Amino acid sequence: MKTTEKSVSDVLDDKKYKYGFQTLIEADTFAKGLNEDVIRAISKKKNEPQFMLDFRLKAYKKWLTMKQPEWPNVHYPPIDFQDVSYYSAPKPKKKLESLDEVDPELLRTFEKLGIPLDEQKKLSNVAVDAVFDSVSVATTHKKKLMEVGIIFCPISEAVQEYPELIEQYMGSVVPVGDNFYAALNSAVFTDGSFVYIPPDTISPMDISTYFRINTEETGQFERTLIICAENSYVSYLEGCTAPQFDTNQLHAAVVELVTMDNAEIKYSTVQNWYAGDMETGKGGIYNFVTKRGKCVGKNSKISWTQVETGSAITWKYPSCILQGDNSVGEFYSVALTNGYMQADTGTKMIHIGKNTRSSIISKGISADHSSNSYRGQVKVNKGAANARNYSQCDSMLVGDKCSAHTFPYIESANSSVQLEHEASTSKISEEQLFYFEQRGISRENAITAVINGFCKEVFKQLPMEFAVEAQKLLTLKLENSVG
Amino acid sequence: MTTTLIDAAEQAEAALLILHKKFMSGNRPPDALAPLNEAALKHFELLKFPHRKHEMYTFVNTKDLVATAFALTAEGSVTEDFIKSHVFPECESSYLVFVDGVLKGDLSDFSAIESAIAIVPIEEAVGQADIKEHLVDTIEKENDVFASINSAFLGEGTLIDVSAKKQVTSPLQILHVSTGTPSGKVTSHPRVLVRLGEMAELKMIVKYVGVQGNYFVNSVMDLLVGEQAGVTFAQVQEDATDAWHFSKTRVLQGRNSRVKAVNAFFGNKLTRHHFEAHLKDVGAELTLNNVSVLNEQEQAHHFVRIHHESPHTRSGQKFKNIVNDKSRSSVDGTVIVNQGAQQTFSDQLINNLMLSDDAHADNKPNLMIFADDVKCTHGATVGQLDENQLFYLKTRGLSEKVAKELLTKSFAESIIQTIDFPGVVQYLENTLLKKLEN
Repeated sequence: MKTTEKSVSDVLDDKKYKYGFQTLIEADTFAKGLNEDVIRAISKKKNEPQFMLDFRLKAYKKWLTMKQPEWPNVHYPPIDFQDVSYYSAPKPKKKLESLDEVDPELLRTFEKLGIPLDEQKKLSNVAVDAVFDSVSVATTHKKKLMEVGIIFCPISEAVQEYPELIEQYMGSVVPVGDNFYAALNSAVFTDGSFVYIPPDTISPMDISTYFRINTEETGQFERTLIICAENSYVSYLEGCTAPQFDTNQLHAAVVELVTMDNAEIKYSTVQNWYAGDMETGKGGIYNFVTKRGKCVGKNSKISWTQVETGSAITWKYPSCILQGDNSVGEFYSVALTNGYMQADTGTKMIHIGKNTRSSIISKGISADHSSNSYRGQVKVNKGAANARNYSQCDSMLVGDKCSAHTFPYIESANSSVQLEHEASTSKISEEQLFYFEQRGISRENAITAVINGFCKEVFKQLPMEFAVEAQKLLTLKLENSVG
Repeated sequence: MTTTLIDAAEQAEAALLILHKKFMSGNRPPDALAPLNEAALKHFELLKFPHRKHEMYTFVNTKDLVATAFALTAEGSVTEDFIKSHVFPECESSYLVFVDGVLKGDLSDFSAIESAIAIVPIEEAVGQADIKEHLVDTIEKENDVFASINSAFLGEGTLIDVSAKKQVTSPLQILHVSTGTPSGKVTSHPRVLVRLGEMAELKMIVKYVGVQGNYFVNSVMDLLVGEQAGVTFAQVQEDATDAWHFSKTRVLQGRNSRVKAVNAFFGNKLTRHHFEAHLKDVGAELTLNNVSVLNEQEQAHHFVRIHHESPHTRSGQKFKNIVNDKSRSSVDGTVIVNQGAQQTFSDQLINNLMLSDDAHADNKPNLMIFADDVKCTHGATVGQLDENQLFYLKTRGLSEKVAKELLTKSFAESIIQTIDFPGVVQYLENTLLKKLEN
C-alpha cells in the first residue's frame, strides 16, 4: 500500500491512530436487530436468487442453536447481537461508469489511507476492490484481469452473474454451521470479493481488497471466495483499517479459498483495525474471522501470511485442509498486541492426502497490558501417509504487564508422519540494546532492528509494498512501549 | 444427540451424589473430616463431569467411566506373597501398603526408616492447623473434578511427615493395591500427604498395581516440600488392563527446594495422571520425566500444570511415549509463569514414537507467560524410527527385528535411566520394555 506519500517524520509524529476519521456521507442503514425478516430483506436488497436466501436462512437457523465460543483466551462482555445493524451501504446511486462519479468524500478517505484507487495511479500494478462498509463501490483493473479470463468482482455481483460457481463453492470450505461467527456471517453477509482464476492462468498482477469499517455500530460481515483452477496462481492482498469509535464494533468475516490440481493461492493480510484507546482499552474492533483454504487438487498449495497489528480482540485461525495428495499448506504470522489488545490467533493444518506438507511460522510480540496467544492445530488423519509438519512459534514480551501464551494441538493418527513443533519466549534484552547504543545506534532504531530481525522470516513472505507497510506499523506501534 | 449427552452427565452426577450419601452414612468418615467431604462434594457439583469438548479433557473420553455405576467396597483380597513380589529390592523394610486406599499396618514394614518419618492418619493430622488449611484451600481451588471426588470420599488418608533436617536414607515405597472384583465395578480413593520440613530429604517410589480388574482407582498425592528440602520420586503405574487409573500429584515447593519425579506408565483402559506443581518461592526447581509404552487398546494421558509463582524458579520436563497397535497417548502440558516471576527458566520436550497407523499420539504443550524476563521453550515431535539408524544397524549384521527392538527400547530407556533407583530401573527394563518385543 502506498503510505510513502507521507514523509516519515509525519508518520512518526502522528503517534495516535492515524486512520481515525469518519467519512460523513449518508448511509442507508437497517434498524438494529436480527431476525428472519432482516435476512430476507438483505437478500431482497441484493436481489439474490433463491439458493442464496436458502443458504442464509439455513445458516441463521443453525446460528440460533449455537453459543458464542468460550475457549479462546480472550475476555470481553457478551455481545448483544440484537444491538447491531446488519446492513449499511452508502446511499445507492446509479451504476458508476468511472471513478469521476464516485463520491469525492469517499475518494478522499481512500486517499488518506493511501489506496491507489485512482485509475491514474495504477502504476502500482494493484487491482483494488475497495469495500466501503458493505458495498463495493469501485473495482479497478477489472478489465485487464478479464482479458486473461480472471473474474474479480464484488461477491454480490458474482451471485448475480456466476450463480453456478457461487452455489458450488460457497460454504464448501467453511460450512454454514462451522462455528458461531461463521454461521452469523453466512446468514447476514452483505459483500466481499470473489475471484476466479481459470485453468492454466498466472494472474498478471496481485489482487487486493481494502476493507474499511465506517458507520458507527455497524457489524461488517465480509465474505471472500477465491477459486484457483488447475495450474493457476494468484497472490491476493488484504488490508484493513478502521476509524476511531468508542463502542466496540464487530467484524465477523469468512474467507474461503479453493485450489485445484497444481494451483497455488498466496493470501497476504495486513490488519490494522482500531485497537481501542491505548490508556483505557475502551473501544476497538472485535475481529472474529474464519479463514480457511482447501487444497482440493493434487500438488496444490495455499499460503497464508498475516501481519496483525490492530483490533481490540483478534480471534482468527487461517487454516488449510490438505486434501489433495502432495498438497502444501503454509502459515506465516506476525501478531503484535499493545495497549489492552487481546489476540488469540494461529492456524489449523488438517492433513488428509498423502505426502502433504505444512509449515507454520508464528511470531507474537506483546507489549503494555496486552495478551497474545498462539493457538494452532496440526492434525494428521489416518490416511495421510508421509505427512510432514514443521511449526515454530516464538513470542517476545515487551514490558512486565503483558502476557504471551502458546497453545498448540498436535494430533497424529498415522505412523509414517514427521511432526515437529518448537516454541520459545523471550524479551528484548538490555544487553542487546546496549550493544546497539554502544555502536551509536539510537535506542529506537535498535528496537526496530531487533523487532524486524525477529519477524524477518514472515516479512520476507510479504509482497514488497506490504512488507514496507508492515515494518512501519510495528515500529509505530511499539514506539511508546519499549524503554 | 446433545440432549441425551447432557442427560447422561446429569444422571452420572446424580448417581455420584447417591454414592456419596451411602459413603457418609455407611462408611462413616471420621467426624473431623466430614465437613471437608461436604465441601468437596459441593465443589464437585460446581465443576460437574466433563462434557465431550471440555478443554481440560480434549484427548480423554470419560463418557464410559462416568456412566459406570461403582460400588465402594472391593471384594478381592491380597496375599503377602503378592505384596512381596511388588516391593522393590531397595525398599525391603521401608514400604507402606495401601489396599484399596486403606493403609494396612500388618502388610507394611518400614522398620528401616522408622526413626526418620512419622505416619499419621489424616483424621489426626487434620488437627494440625497447616494441614487443615492445606486441605480446605485445595478443596476450594480444585479444578480437577476427579480430585474433588477424591476429597469428597476422603476417609482413610495418611500423612507421611518428615521433620526438619531429617534425611531418610532408604527409599520409601508406597504400594497402592487395588483388589478389584470379579464382576461389577468398584472404586477407591487413596489419599496420601507427604510433608517435608526445612532441609529434609526423602526418596520415594510409588507403585500402583491391581490384583484383579474391574476397578477405578482415583488417587491423590500431595507433596508439601519445605524450604531447601528435596524429594526424589518415581511413580510406576501398572494397574490391571481393564481398570481405570486416575491420579493427581500436587506439589507445593518452598524456597530453594528440589523435586525430581519420574513417571512410568504401562497404560490400561484409561490412565490419566494430573501433575500440578506450584513453585511457590524463589529458587525452587522441578524435574519431571515421563515414559509410557502402550500396546493394543491402552490409553495414557498426561495432564501437567506447572505454575512458576516466584522469580528464579526452574522446571524441566521430558516425555517419551511409544504407541503401538490401537493405543493412544496424549500429553496436555502447560507451563504458567506468573506476573513478577522474572528469571524463570522452563523447558518441555515431548517425543512420540508411532509404531502403528491405528495408534494415536496427541500433544498440547502450552505456555502461558505473564512476565517478560524469562526463558521458556517447548518442543514436540511425532515420528517413527530413523531409516538411517535402522540401516546402520542392519549393515552391522543385525536383523530388522532386532534392530527395531534395539532402537525402540533405547528411545524409552533414555527416560528410564534417569530414575535414581536401580531396582526400579531393572524392573522397568524387564517389564515395560518387554512390551516392545514381538
